[in-house]
Amino acid sequence: MAGKSIYWDDVKEGQELPTVTTDITCTTVIAGAIASRDFTPVHHDRDFAKKAGVKDIFLNNATICGFVGKYLTDWTGPEGELKEISFRIQTPCFPGDTMTKTGKVIKKYTEGGQHLVDVEYNFAVPQGRNCGGTGTIALPARGH
Amino acid sequence: MGQEFYDELKALVGQEGSRLVAVDEVCKPMIRHWCEAMQDGNPLYTDEEYARKSKYGSIIAPPTMLLTWTMPPLWPPKEQPPHPFERFLEKLDKAGFYGILITNVAQKYHRPIFPGDHITFTYKVTDVSPEKKTGLGMGHFVTTTFIFTNQKGETVGTQSLTVLKYRIGF
Repeated sequence: MAGKSIYWDDVKEGQELPTVTTDITCTTVIAGAIASRDFTPVHHDRDFAKKAGVKDIFLNNATICGFVGKYLTDWTGPEGELKEISFRIQTPCFPGDTMTKTGKVIKKYTEGGQHLVDVEYNFAVPQGRNCGGTGTIALPARGH
Repeated sequence: MGQEFYDELKALVGQEGSRLVAVDEVCKPMIRHWCEAMQDGNPLYTDEEYARKSKYGSIIAPPTMLLTWTMPPLWPPKEQPPHPFERFLEKLDKAGFYGILITNVAQKYHRPIFPGDHITFTYKVTDVSPEKKTGLGMGHFVTTTFIFTNQKGETVGTQSLTVLKYRIGF
């Protein structure tokens, strides 16, 4: 991906983002929790998680934020500039789950001299939707 | 719980605690560690040469790392007066709403964050719902808003986080 970015001019409302699947392991969950400095036991201690009433450790919210950022800028390329993200967490993502990420462009517009797109995304796991939400990204435009 | 309890909760909304300071400066090793965990190959975060030629002129931190810089240390324990948010959670715990679950996250990125930046933040409870019936039990949704600032006093980003505090098994 190094260097290649999409142009705002080439994006269409309703356009689908690529579907990306990721296999989640204990390592994914724990590496994400520790890289985000979140030492809450439900994100690294299976016994603790079971006592708390969940079947296993699960992805913390910072890792979901990181996955959303990665999903969006993997699509746009590095010149896509994240302006905001907002999502709802619905069901936990556990080790052993395959996460299926999908998304769609819902709006394309200019504002304050920036060329923006709003996208919506859903990250699904076998037991339901892990998270769903929206994001705004500024893109490079031709001739600007 | 009755209206009186809800009124007591609402009275705590908007109270701001003292400014909190990140333990470490923003740094390349923590950025690279994050990219490794998220498997994020964006060259702005880890490729010195690419980043130097970009409009930023240097490596930047992934914007989604916003909250990471200011997470409290695992050790040693920090002695500071309880934040209004902690008092809020304690009040709900005492009333039997022990369960806690993050339900909504929103982040806005105002400025890029660079290695060497020193981040501070303030946060406050900005909303509490009346007691509601949820899939997990009766509970209150509590929204907290964080404002993150760099060493120049510029706002780099904001985050709002909604948690459900619920009665387990009711």
